[in-house]
Amino acid sequence: MRPRCGLLQWRWVRRLPALAAALLLGCGGATTQAPAPSSITVGTALAADQSVTRTLNAMPRTLDPSLLTDEPGQTVMDDLFEGLTTIGPDDNIVPGVARSWDMSADGKTWLFHLRPEARWSNGDPVTAADFVYAWRREVDPKTGSEYAQALAPIVNAEAIATGHAPVDSLGVTALDAHTLRVALVSPTPYLLAVLADNYLLPLHRATIERYGDSWTRPAHMVSNGPYVLSELIVGDRITLTRNPLYWGAANVRVTRVTYYPLDPDEQVSRFMAGDVEMTSYFPGPQFRWLKSQLGNQVVTGPYLGIQMLGFNMIDPPFAHNRNLRLALNMAVDRNILADKIYQGLNRPAYSIVPPLPGYTPQTPAWASWSDDQRHAEARRLYAAAGYSAAHPLHVQLDYPTDDEHRDLMAALAAMWRTNLGADVEPYNEEFRVLTQNLQLHKSSLFWNSWIGDFPDPFTFVQLAQKDDGQNYGRFDDPRYEALLVAAGNEADNAQRYRYFEQAEDLLNQEAPFLPLVYYTTRHLIKPYLKGWHSNLQDRLPTRYLYVLEHQGR
Amino acid sequence: MLRFLLNRLLTAIPTLLIIATLAFALLHATPGGPFDSAKRIPPAIQASIEAKYHLNEPLWRQYVRYLSDLAHGDLGPSFQYRDTSVNALIRQGLPVDATIGVCALLVALLFGGAGGILAALRRNTAGDYVPMFFAALGISLPTFVIGPLLILVFAVRLHWLPSGDWVAGSISHLILPVIALALPYTAYIARMVRGATIEVMTSPFIRTARAKGLPRRTVILRHALRPILTPLVSFLGPAFAGVLTGSIIIESVFGLPGIGRYFVTGAINRDYTLVVGITVLYGALIIVFNLLADLCYAWLDPRVRLQS
Repeated sequence: MRPRCGLLQWRWVRRLPALAAALLLGCGGATTQAPAPSSITVGTALAADQSVTRTLNAMPRTLDPSLLTDEPGQTVMDDLFEGLTTIGPDDNIVPGVARSWDMSADGKTWLFHLRPEARWSNGDPVTAADFVYAWRREVDPKTGSEYAQALAPIVNAEAIATGHAPVDSLGVTALDAHTLRVALVSPTPYLLAVLADNYLLPLHRATIERYGDSWTRPAHMVSNGPYVLSELIVGDRITLTRNPLYWGAANVRVTRVTYYPLDPDEQVSRFMAGDVEMTSYFPGPQFRWLKSQLGNQVVTGPYLGIQMLGFNMIDPPFAHNRNLRLALNMAVDRNILADKIYQGLNRPAYSIVPPLPGYTPQTPAWASWSDDQRHAEARRLYAAAGYSAAHPLHVQLDYPTDDEHRDLMAALAAMWRTNLGADVEPYNEEFRVLTQNLQLHKSSLFWNSWIGDFPDPFTFVQLAQKDDGQNYGRFDDPRYEALLVAAGNEADNAQRYRYFEQAEDLLNQEAPFLPLVYYTTRHLIKPYLKGWHSNLQDRLPTRYLYVLEHQGR
Repeated sequence: MLRFLLNRLLTAIPTLLIIATLAFALLHATPGGPFDSAKRIPPAIQASIEAKYHLNEPLWRQYVRYLSDLAHGDLGPSFQYRDTSVNALIRQGLPVDATIGVCALLVALLFGGAGGILAALRRNTAGDYVPMFFAALGISLPTFVIGPLLILVFAVRLHWLPSGDWVAGSISHLILPVIALALPYTAYIARMVRGATIEVMTSPFIRTARAKGLPRRTVILRHALRPILTPLVSFLGPAFAGVLTGSIIIESVFGLPGIGRYFVTGAINRDYTLVVGITVLYGALIIVFNLLADLCYAWLDPRVRLQS
C-alpha cells in the first residue's frame, strides 16, 4: 500500500519538452498529417532480436526485496524473482515456485508444495527453507524493513516486528525441502495475491550472508525469477538478461530488458525517438496530444488507485460536522475534473474502493443526481452546517507540489466558491513536508491518494481503520471497526465483500473522505511489442512480452 | 610560490568545514526525514533503521561522526539508495559529468574564443553582429529549452542521434548533451573574449607591435592572445567546478547518471549524506580550480605576483 508520489518534480524541466514539442510538432497546425514517429510497419513473425527497452518512474531505492517500497522496484522484482504464486499473463494469480497448495477447513493453515525443478540462478534448488529465511528476515526488526507489517496475516508476524517475540516464532515452517506450511492469524482470502508481492519472495541465504548489504550488486545477486541482474547504474539504467536456469525459461521470449528511470516528460521523448519501447507513465496534460500523435500506442486502463481529499475528523471546522463534509463532497463536479483536468484519462470517483471484480461499489445516491439538484442539496447542507454568504467557510487545502495537482486544487477551490460561496485556499507543500504534517494531524483538509497492493477492497477500507497509519483524518467509528473485524474473521469471500460494502456505505454517509478520481494506468507501447495486458495492478512482467518483426521506430 | 600554495590549501580546510557544517545544519533543519514513510512503521523497526544510520544519536554526535568520517574521505552511506554509499555514487557520477563537462568547455573555448576574437576584429560589421546575435541568443536560451529542442530535432524527428542514456565510450551519446551544455558557455565566452580583444587591441603595446611592422597574425597570436585569455581564466575556474559536479538540467533531460541528478533526488528524499557530500565536493572543487586559475593568472600575466 503506497501513496502515489515519488515522481521527481523538477517543474521547469518537466514542462519544457511539452512546450518544445508543441512548437515543433504542432507548428503544422491541428490538421497535420500522420506524424513521423508512428511510421512503423509490423510483421507477424517473431523478431530475431528479442530485447526490450522500458522505463521506470524513478530509480528503485534498493533491489533488496525485503527493503524496497517503491513501484519501480516492484516492477523490477517481477522480473528478477518469483514467489510461491506469481502474476499471470492477464493479471490472474498463477502458481509460481509453488506447484499447488492446500488450505485447511478454517482457512488458517496453508500447505504449499514447491516444484522440485525450481532453481536459483546459481543452480541451487529453491527450497521451503529459502522462504522461511526470507520471511523471517522481512519481519526481523534488525532488517529495518518498512513493509514488515505486510506480513501481519501470518502468526506472530506483528509481535516479531514490534520486538515482542523471537524471530523464529514466525508461523512459517519448512516441513521438508519442498513443502512449506503457513499459519495465519485469521482467514486471508487475498493470501494468494499477496504471495506474489516482493516482500514474500524467497531469498538466497548464502549470498546475503556472504555479501551483506552489497548482495544486490549485479556481480553478487542470485535470484530465482525469469531474469538475472546484469547491470545497474544508479540514475541511468538497470539491465536484466534471461535466466537460463529458470524453471519456465522455455516460455520466456525476451532475452534482455533494459529499464531506464526517467521523469515522465523524458519517457515520452525517449519513446518518440524510438529509444524505449514501453513507458511506465506519461504526463496527464499531454494525453490528448499524445493520442493524436501516437494513436493506439497510447495504452490506458483502470488502475487500482484513488485520488481523494481527507477531512480532519478531530478538529474544527470538520469535526462533528457531517453536513459540511457532505456539502463539500456534493459541490464538486467530478465529471468536469475528469474531463477538463485529466482530459478523460481518470474516471470520476464517488466512493473510495475502485471497481473490483466481485465487489459492488457503494456509490452514494447523489452521485447520479443532476448538477443543479446536487448543488442545491450541497447549499442546503452548507447552510445547515452554519455557513452562509455573510459567514463563509475559510479553510486551507494542503496538497503536494505538482503541476497536475495545482490545476486540480484550483478547480476545486473555484467549484466551492461558485457552488457554495466557501473560501478554500489551496496551499502546496513539498511531498515529504506534507506527509510529516499529515502524520502530526496538522491539516484540516488535505490531499491524499492510495494505490492498492492487491485487488481486494480491504486495502482501501483499511484507510479509515482507527489504528491505520494512513488514517490521517483520525476517523474513528465503532460500527466501522466492527464491520472490519467481522470481515477479517470471515472465511467466505463473498460474505467478506458484503461486510466491506457495508463499511464503504458507512464511509459515504459519514464522509471522512472526499473521493475525486480513480487513477488510470498510462503507458506508451510500440505496436510490435506484444504479450502485455492492461491490468488493475499495472504489473506487466517482461516474461510474457515478445517482439514482432518490424520496420521503422 | 610553495608558501602561497600551502597557505591557500590550509585556508581551504576551515572553508570546507563551514560548508559542511552549513549543509549539515540546513538539511537536518528541513522538515521531513529520510525514513518518514506514508506507512506507519512499528517503533522497533523504525529504531533499527535509525540506529543503522545513527539517526537515533543526538545531532551533535551525528555531526562529529560525519566530520570524522569526512576527514577519512568517507562520505557515508546513501539514505535513499539503501545499498549504496555516497562515495560509490560519486565515483560513478563524476566520470560522466567530467566527460560531458570537459568536452563542453573545450567546445565552448574553441568556438566561443574564436568567435569572440573574430567578432572583435570585425567590429561593427556583419562579421561582428551575426556571432554576437547568436551569443545573445545562447545566453538567453536556457538549457532546459535547448536540451529538449535538440532531442526533438535530432532524435525524435531525424533519428540521427540517441535521445539520452549514457554509454561509456559512445560518441553519439555525447553529442547532444555536450552541445546543450556548451551553448551557453560558448556564448558567454564569445562575449567575454570579444570585449577583452577590443580592449587589448587598442592598448599601447599592440600599437607598438603594429608600428614595428609585425604581421597581423603575429600581433594577435604572440602579443594579444595572452592578455585576452586572462579574464577567461578567472571564469573557467568556477566553471570547471560547476560542470564537474553536474548540470542538473542536462542530466535530467538526457537521463544521465550524473551527480547533479543525484543531488536533486537526494534533496527531495532527504538523503542527508548524499547532499552534504556533493556540497562538500563542489566546495572542494571550487577551491582547487580557483587556485589553479590563480596560478594560470600568474603565468599569463607577469605583473601578477602570487603573494601569501
